Amino acid sequence: MNAPELAVAACHALDLTWIAAAPAERARHWQRIHGDAELAAWLAPLQPTHLYFGSEFCEHLLPSTRALREALRQAESAGLRLVLLSPVASPEVLARLDALLTMLPAGSEVVVNDWGVAHELASRFPDLRPVAGRVLCRMTKDPRLDAGWAGRCGHGLAAPTMRGLFARLGIRSLEIDVPLFADDAAFADLPLPTAVHLPYVYVAKGRMCRAGSLAVKGPERFAVGRRCQKECLRFSALASRPGRADAGASVQLGNTLFSRHSAAMAHSLRQAVDGKRVARLVVPGAPL
Amino acid sequence: MRIVAPVSRVAEIEPLAQAGANEFYCGLVPPDWLGRFHAINANRRPSGNLTRYEDLASAIDIAHAHEATVSLVLNAQHYSAAQIGAAEEIAGRFAALGGDALIISDLGLLHALSTRFPALRMHVSSVATCRNAGAARLCRELGAQRLILPRDVTLAEAASIAAEVPDIEIEAFVLNDGCIFEEGACHTIHLPGQLGGPICLDRFEYRYRRRDGSDVSPRLAARLQENDAEYERWLWYRFSCGFSTTPEGLPYGPCGLCAVPALRRGRVAAIKIAGREAPTARKLASVRMVRSVLDRVRCGEDDADVREFAMKLRPSEAHCATGYMCYYPEVLRAEAR
Repeated sequence: MNAPELAVAACHALDLTWIAAAPAERARHWQRIHGDAELAAWLAPLQPTHLYFGSEFCEHLLPSTRALREALRQAESAGLRLVLLSPVASPEVLARLDALLTMLPAGSEVVVNDWGVAHELASRFPDLRPVAGRVLCRMTKDPRLDAGWAGRCGHGLAAPTMRGLFARLGIRSLEIDVPLFADDAAFADLPLPTAVHLPYVYVAKGRMCRAGSLAVKGPERFAVGRRCQKECLRFSALASRPGRADAGASVQLGNTLFSRHSAAMAHSLRQAVDGKRVARLVVPGAPL
Repeated sequence: MRIVAPVSRVAEIEPLAQAGANEFYCGLVPPDWLGRFHAINANRRPSGNLTRYEDLASAIDIAHAHEATVSLVLNAQHYSAAQIGAAEEIAGRFAALGGDALIISDLGLLHALSTRFPALRMHVSSVATCRNAGAARLCRELGAQRLILPRDVTLAEAASIAAEVPDIEIEAFVLNDGCIFEEGACHTIHLPGQLGGPICLDRFEYRYRRRDGSDVSPRLAARLQENDAEYERWLWYRFSCGFSTTPEGLPYGPCGLCAVPALRRGRVAAIKIAGREAPTARKLASVRMVRSVLDRVRCGEDDADVREFAMKLRPSEAHCATGYMCYYPEVLRAEAR
């Protein structure tokens, strides 16, 4: 494996003109998005290769057919391969996904975070390539833990039972977050080529959405299935625990709690990339 | 429709069966699990588990004597390769004791165990986060006889999955113990209280910011403040109204009693009472509440009468009216019509 591929993730149309620019301009772009000069300088030499479009975490952010068509056009003109992101699916989402999957060119990757979506892909869309997303690739990522809990923060991705399930569903690559207490061996036992997300780990996601309930009143406020107004596209919340020394800052974005990589996690990811153990990096294309 | 009740002690089985429970579920963490794996995640609960196979055998015998069944929970978020072997060992001993069903969250493990122990029924845990027909079909193909839906589904979704995949039973939550995040999509640990407890109850402070870098307007800030206050109120309901009960011991908190008629019409096969770690008195009161409602539904009482009965059980009309205590608040929408 050589330098990792680089994917830019978005759930709506983004300006992609910067990706063809010189590394210095790309560094300025990443600095603007994620506010970290060291991270920006590290990412800048990598030319983006993929556009991740959709949402891993929210059914309300599943793109419309029109939005996907436009994203496919935009990706093609920017020389990027589009990867469709899909969330945990309600019956309605499963039905809506059907129309989106038929629009994808053969060989396209679909990040699945739901076993039902994976089953649908395997049985009805054999020309598409399912990738097991972060919801399915479980590992303990509680940002409140200190190193004393490291023994409880592994994953089961290498277990033969999981390998068998991946094979049965035609899953040939994985997506993960940086383990909380990653050491040199942290990325060594992954059973399939793996993409790693940065600079945040996803910690927990709900179906209920606090921000998405802003415009809802009455008994079904905070209930599932409500039509939100996509408040998460406009604002997020820094979530801190006064008096506690958590290693990474937490951010609540819509229904999902994220935690920013600690310095140690960022370091271990760079080591894994240097050791050619990471197939792809996935970076949000907009600030959280 | 069967009532599924939690147990953590052998002595609970008989009174709960007499109160009307048809099925019991329990965890077992053998004494050597913690030493071998430095983990408590044989089934996601640090307490509320049986610890001896002798107790598991007694639980099975007593349940069977009451024509009830016992399901053993193996629903950790994930198992390492070594833990898979240990989980298979637990399942094998459970099968040898005459146990009835396993509750499994890891679909890879499900397939392995359904192949190895064909006499055991396989129930897919709510922790698997399977909540559509495609997932139900996969579970069936992997050897499951039942899918336990996660908490956050609607009545219409439950019914549509049951209709689309009729060869797998559907179980849905009916009482107690809400979650904030989806269980299977929450990659955290329920820490001891002094370290913060469950992450959804930890004392996080929120500072809102606009993602485009502009300022949060005073108007938006005020709306967010109101939303946060209301969220705190909802959270109180979601966590069992501060884990309170009536003077008679009937539990407040997440509840789907009014939805039992709709769940039954939607061909939901079993309704689940949560709370393995709860005191016996709470479990007993919970089974009695659910049984009394289900008996009325079976007798053909109409939905409005069942709803009125359910709301007066504790009584809890004021709490019920908020909708925040409801697993299926859309029932209130139907009532409003």
